[in-house]
Amino acid sequence: MFDFSQATARRAKRGMLREWRLHALSVFSLAVAFVCLGAALLVVVNLSAIEERWAHAGRVSVYLRDDAKVADVDALKTALTKTPGVTQVRYVSSAQAHSDFSQIGGAADALAALPHEAFPASIEVDIRPDVSTADLTTIKSKLSQLPSVDDVETYEAWTERLARLVRGGVAAAGLLALVVFASVLAVVGSTMRLALQRRRAEVEVLKLVGATPSFVKSPFLMEGSAQGAMGAAVAIALLFALFLIMRSRVDLELSRMIGVEPAFLPWQGAVGMIAVGALLGTLAAALGLRKLVTV
Amino acid sequence: MHGPDDPKEGGFQPQLRPGARFARDAASRPILMFEDVYKSYKPGSPVLRGMNLVIERGEFVFFTGPSGSGKSTLLRLLYRSETVDDGRILFMGRDVARLSQDSVPYLRRNLGVVFQDFKLVSSWTVFENVAIALEVLGLPQRLITSRVGEALDRVGLARRGGDCAGVLSGGEQQRVAIARAIVGEPALILADEPTGNLDPQLAIDILGLFEDINATGTTVLFATHDRSLLEIRPRRVVVLDEGKAVDVRAGVTPGDDGFSGYDNALPV
Repeated sequence: MFDFSQATARRAKRGMLREWRLHALSVFSLAVAFVCLGAALLVVVNLSAIEERWAHAGRVSVYLRDDAKVADVDALKTALTKTPGVTQVRYVSSAQAHSDFSQIGGAADALAALPHEAFPASIEVDIRPDVSTADLTTIKSKLSQLPSVDDVETYEAWTERLARLVRGGVAAAGLLALVVFASVLAVVGSTMRLALQRRRAEVEVLKLVGATPSFVKSPFLMEGSAQGAMGAAVAIALLFALFLIMRSRVDLELSRMIGVEPAFLPWQGAVGMIAVGALLGTLAAALGLRKLVTV
Repeated sequence: MHGPDDPKEGGFQPQLRPGARFARDAASRPILMFEDVYKSYKPGSPVLRGMNLVIERGEFVFFTGPSGSGKSTLLRLLYRSETVDDGRILFMGRDVARLSQDSVPYLRRNLGVVFQDFKLVSSWTVFENVAIALEVLGLPQRLITSRVGEALDRVGLARRGGDCAGVLSGGEQQRVAIARAIVGEPALILADEPTGNLDPQLAIDILGLFEDINATGTTVLFATHDRSLLEIRPRRVVVLDEGKAVDVRAGVTPGDDGFSGYDNALPV
């Protein structure tokens, strides 16, 4: 069995080396298809990370009215500090908010030009991540009724928007996956049929000496598998290079503000993509050779 | 998953008598019997018309006849590249014509076939071209190396294993094809005009190789229309004429006045 596998691998390697241009072209085509799929997955992974981060942000911004009295604000701070689930309460004045926003890269000058009054004073409340959405809604509801409070932001709307974006991304990635699967089947199947035609003499000899159809097909299946795996691997390498370039250009401040650093595909995802490539390549080769190899 | 030569895959097996583990008289039976074999490619003009023929073990038989007489067809029917329209071809007691498609590769492992156009893979080395016949059997690489070396030695191509088959001369390529045919030690060698592309001296050399192979007990069927080969070797000659096989006395070529029919009736 080991010798059989070794012989098959040897024949597959020999076939690929002798037809390297054909196989290289096929691998490149597959890599392009897998790059599209990988890029979609990368976007989904990063959006999911942002959604995850903000879903458990545990933060509430209580925006105060301009005419809020200092005593009311102090009382509110004290009350919030005693509220179960609240870990930290911090007052941010209009001037401080103006100063914080003026340090944001890109729009710093425009923000600095705005008057202090454009930035309402607020109380930033940190809440334990395990506080339920229902409890958070209750807190928001009670705070909104206080006379010194103008608005309460729990960032739930943002999280919901992100979740919708992620769901859309997943659906798009699913569609892309179908396109990629179809292109792998078409590219590898055609390559294998072409390779078989070019190696007709070899196939004829194999049949002559008593090779079974599975023996004849096995190196072609291995070549299809290798093509699929290599296509996916090249795509991951390309994607990683693109990711490094992109990450170096993303503003560090923006990453900090969002609270999530850009991340590449997890290793399980990368290995999974290569495995799917190999599996699809084998399937495509098997389908391509189905009616072509008979005794 | 089984290896390529796993008996569980249902390969070609010589037929045994019902109830017996082996046939005691198997060794004395003819290796090959054609019984009333019909084959036609076009309706109304059969190539073989009820052909009967018996080949004993260890024989060296020349098949001859004009172009289109059915020499190649006969061999193709034997290695199941073609199927008979009617009749039986018994190889080692098993009807080749009735073999399932899955069993055909196992039949071919018991045959060695040599062609006029060599049928080598020109981009492969000499060693690879010969070794493939053993690789399909799933033999260990060490054994393959040693047996290919022996086969190449027998055909006079020792130490040429690393050469690319495409760069060899016609005679050398035919020797490689013969080495591939004998490396699996088949019971029967089929040669379809193996000297057709070679000059007379090389043809005689190649014939000598087949005779050496036959001397070790392997049955050889040698199809040729080269009368000079038939004249120089006193062997059994079967002439294919009007779709039937006619035996000719050993050492007498077809067309001689001394030609006499040969009783090729099947044993009862």
